[in-house]
Amino acid sequence: MNRDGMSIEGRDDERLLLETRRHFFRRCGVGFGLAALVSLLERDGVVAREGPVAGPLAPRPPHHAARAKHVIFLFMAGGPSQLELFDYKPKLCELEGNVIPESYVEGKRFAFLEKTAKLLGTRRRFARHGQSGQQISELLPHLATIADDVAIVKSMVTDQFNHGPAKFFVNTGSPRFGMPSMGSWITYGIGSESSDLPGFVVLQSGPRGPRGGSANWGSGFLPSAYQGVPFRTRGVPILNLSSPAGVGATGQREFVDAVNDLNRLRLDATLDPEISSRIASYELAYRMQTSAPELMDIGGEPRETLELYGAEPGKASYANNCLLARRLVERGVRFVQLYHTDWDHHGNKGTDLGESLEKICAEVDRPTTALVRDLKRRGLLDDTIVVWGGEFGRTPQGEPRESLGRDHHPHAYAMWVAGGGFRPGITIGETDELGFYPVADRVHVHDLQATILHLLGLDHLRLTYRFQGRDFRLTDVGGEVVGGLLG
Amino acid sequence: MRRLPEILVTWLLLAPAAVAGDDDHWAFRAPVRREPPAVERAASTRGAIDSFVLARLERHGLGLSPEAERTTLIRRLSLDLTGLPPAPAEVDDFLADGRPDALERLIDRLLASPHFGERWGRHWLDLARYADSNGYTRDNAREIWPYRDWVIDALNRDLPFDRFTIEQVAGDMVPGATPGQVIATGFHRNTLVNEEGGTDREEFRVEAVADRLATTGVVFLALTLNCARCHDHKYDPVSQQEYFELFAFLNSCDEPRVDAPTDEQLARGEVERRDAILERIRPLEAELEKLKKADKSDKADKPDGADQSESGADRAARERITARIKELRDSLPRIPTTLVMRERAKPRVTHVHVRGSFLDRGERVSPAVPGVLHSLRQRGETPDRLDLAHWLVDPSNPLTPRVAVNRVWQRLFGRGIVETENDFGTRGAAPTHPALLDWLAIELVGRQWSLKSMIREVVTSATYRQSSRRRPELDRVDPENRMIGRQTRLRMEAEIIRDSALTASGVLSRRIGGPSVHPPQPEGVFEFTQDIKPWPTERGADRFRRGMYTRFWRSSPYPALMVFDFPDSNVSCTRRPRSNTPLQALTLANDTTFVECAQILARRIAFSDAADDASRVRLAFRRCLAREPTAAERDRLLAVVRSQRERFAGAPEDAAALAGLANAGDAGTPAEDRHDAIELAAWTAVARVLLNLDEFVTRE
Repeated sequence: MNRDGMSIEGRDDERLLLETRRHFFRRCGVGFGLAALVSLLERDGVVAREGPVAGPLAPRPPHHAARAKHVIFLFMAGGPSQLELFDYKPKLCELEGNVIPESYVEGKRFAFLEKTAKLLGTRRRFARHGQSGQQISELLPHLATIADDVAIVKSMVTDQFNHGPAKFFVNTGSPRFGMPSMGSWITYGIGSESSDLPGFVVLQSGPRGPRGGSANWGSGFLPSAYQGVPFRTRGVPILNLSSPAGVGATGQREFVDAVNDLNRLRLDATLDPEISSRIASYELAYRMQTSAPELMDIGGEPRETLELYGAEPGKASYANNCLLARRLVERGVRFVQLYHTDWDHHGNKGTDLGESLEKICAEVDRPTTALVRDLKRRGLLDDTIVVWGGEFGRTPQGEPRESLGRDHHPHAYAMWVAGGGFRPGITIGETDELGFYPVADRVHVHDLQATILHLLGLDHLRLTYRFQGRDFRLTDVGGEVVGGLLG
Repeated sequence: MRRLPEILVTWLLLAPAAVAGDDDHWAFRAPVRREPPAVERAASTRGAIDSFVLARLERHGLGLSPEAERTTLIRRLSLDLTGLPPAPAEVDDFLADGRPDALERLIDRLLASPHFGERWGRHWLDLARYADSNGYTRDNAREIWPYRDWVIDALNRDLPFDRFTIEQVAGDMVPGATPGQVIATGFHRNTLVNEEGGTDREEFRVEAVADRLATTGVVFLALTLNCARCHDHKYDPVSQQEYFELFAFLNSCDEPRVDAPTDEQLARGEVERRDAILERIRPLEAELEKLKKADKSDKADKPDGADQSESGADRAARERITARIKELRDSLPRIPTTLVMRERAKPRVTHVHVRGSFLDRGERVSPAVPGVLHSLRQRGETPDRLDLAHWLVDPSNPLTPRVAVNRVWQRLFGRGIVETENDFGTRGAAPTHPALLDWLAIELVGRQWSLKSMIREVVTSATYRQSSRRRPELDRVDPENRMIGRQTRLRMEAEIIRDSALTASGVLSRRIGGPSVHPPQPEGVFEFTQDIKPWPTERGADRFRRGMYTRFWRSSPYPALMVFDFPDSNVSCTRRPRSNTPLQALTLANDTTFVECAQILARRIAFSDAADDASRVRLAFRRCLAREPTAAERDRLLAVVRSQRERFAGAPEDAAALAGLANAGDAGTPAEDRHDAIELAAWTAVARVLLNLDEFVTRE
């Protein structure tokens, strides 16, 4: 274990201490809920926040002082068009209909586009908003009202131009299937503060799930305790959360007590500390059975809050998910990821930069803004990072399809971040006059990942795991903290 | 270019103490046969393995742990060799067998069981990254289960490991290749296929070849060859040029799909029948095509609005032919197909990919093996994939035999003699028992590469038979049990947990092989995938097949497998983690499969001829855990029976629901049935507790 263990701290010599502690818990943990006791003692500093008894998701100290404790990643699956939303390019409008100069596209690869595709100007109006004067398009009127709270990055760069690999790249730092995702790395690094919910929760809205499926929130070679747990927004939120018919709350409690009593007998016989972890897992599972449905029930939220988000109890929507994200963070969950599909506006019916884009912007704009406002007024924004964006942007060239559309563009696109120590009210990065390449403050996906980890108190170079003969990390062999984004 | 300095900085930070290019590394030298060392406690040993292990323990003043109890041994052996827990009758037979070689007899019986091939075949399928879909984002279905069945069969007949290797790497090129040898090449067809729109096919073909090379390196050589794809290997003596020379061996195949009829289908002549039917369909289709064309040209001749329809006679003919084609198609026998490798007549040219990019072609290379390892014996002028396969199992290969026996050890003790089972390079862990590793490697080759023989050698040892109970005096010296002064309790693999529950409740279908199946899975699995996958939940015996036959969609794998660390099957998995999470608790406690098992087990107990509750508890306990309950365990379970009876007596509907008896809780139900429902529900509660015990999911 140690060889594969956290490089944050080696703790071989704590073993005997743990043994003793386990012994203590074994004798007095009965009936109280072992994990609850452990977390209580941990909070009071009676025991160190370590060791198998506390479980793999117990909070762990970061590398350095953290600015943020939680992350809400609003993943706009498909690749929102930065040219319609954040990166206003009057020159592009001027040159509309011209073939892009060859110097731009030489040696570049596109998913569908021909090299001779023609430039396409935006049809959207842009204005400056807030004291900071951030440029935001008319498609996001709500976001415009919190311009001073967000930091817009116009110079994002990724390595990938197809959806699947590009999604994995943002989530795992690698275009390959099956590497650990950011939420897994983070909960592996610093655990979670929730004692009755998973540390990494995934929510989904829109017509379909994101391409790549569970690999986007998988734990790869990290232990599966760190994988994202999808919460279904209809019916029961977690697979197998409900007790079997006829068992009921009392029956389930009796069941857990019997299982754990017998497990304690086996622990005495074998002295295997893994059994202590299993006892703790059954206690946590039992608590999740109550806490997860309670979490999902937004019916008790004040009418004003529901209206702020545009959320409706009982409905599956991005708005509901934004409200759930706040409720998850309030309960100590470390990493919440929302997927909303589908932003892949190539220009066919239902995927054009006209009505389709307007529709999805309308779905997303108000709830997103409400989330930032709500976090702020509750004092949660200070230690919660909000990230908004997709796997890449869209080309300055139009695609010759049925209607207005653009192809995938990995070379320059926009995202925004807020809260958790990010500097509010700024724009970072600049692109050339066509919006094709960054000309200042290029921010690579690995740089953004390094910066998010940095704010959580994690050094992306030191958060490593040994696999197949070498130490792996979220940022692969790249990544630099973006100083200009730090508040 | 701008990123280069960062890369350098990173490598400097990660720089090892060892210098790259260490040709003198232990794993690159041939194994040396050493006599088993003399030991003080010789009476506790049974063979060479024990002497090697005990010698090391004795240096610390320690001995082996005592032999585990016989019930533990039979359960451990049954799980390790067949993946199925023993039935109470098997346990009784074993306990009653007073012959001195009772254990060896048990071992031989288990090694001969057809379930041995399933158990060890599944280990191999982890390495082979086997799955039933293409992966990436679209993740369409694929049919390659005949390869899976080939693996099971090969292990059951103890196909020597060198042949096992050659047939999987290059079975298509073996002179006079049999259909089975061709099917074996499915090993390298388990790579992902990207079907997303707008992708470059060549890019993903290259990706698949790179995966084949990485897998070959990790599986047979325990070398991280893929580290040399973009630059020379940082730690091991493999240059980027050498990487692409190896790449060239694997770069010249086509990837066809072929028929894989079952033996019965062959015997019944179904392939010929299918071909005959297809032969009859062909002219009908041609005729139909002709009619369609004629109709089109008719229309083109006539002005708009004129006679739009073909003549009545033509239409009737078309309908008749279409119906006939459908009829014939419906009568086609369904011949399974599978994915295989086929060497091209003319090899592809291979270049070095500069910095790993397939678009940036560097120097042209020819197939060759790395200089640090033994040399290749080529059959012809240009070495090919079959030469590579032979090279992997060449008697002078220092790696493959060690890697193979290390895997055997890893499966039986939870950790290899070399802990980094996928990396025997300079950055890997040193062997804890180097002389033992070499002894086993030399034995494997000497025993004509018989895996069964090596497994038998290990499981008959005193080292393997030790108790897994923790020993404080050992823990103080060796908390991680690297010296193997005891056995290790191992949480069972995902599919074995399922198989155990099905076995304990007596519903397991023991059918071996065939198409993958769809046991019940919770609602909502496909809410998070790009496409909704077909999942026709099985109603018959296939509902209770072994976990290894569950259809595996790479983008949305079966939840009850994944929650227990089943590999994602995207790349070769040489070691599964053994995590311990609340989601596992929810699965065992609430998942349909496990609840059904509890209900069925309850029926067996409640309606058994056991005299009283204590006997029933004993029966259930032994079905689940093989051993007898202690008095404390029995009493705790009797308390469950009493409290649940009481609870269900006051809630007949709950009783009916938990017992799985629809409507039995209605007011009109006869008293007798209501009593049965209460009994069944109470015993279901007991069974559910047993199926959730740590011990139930642990090989002790």
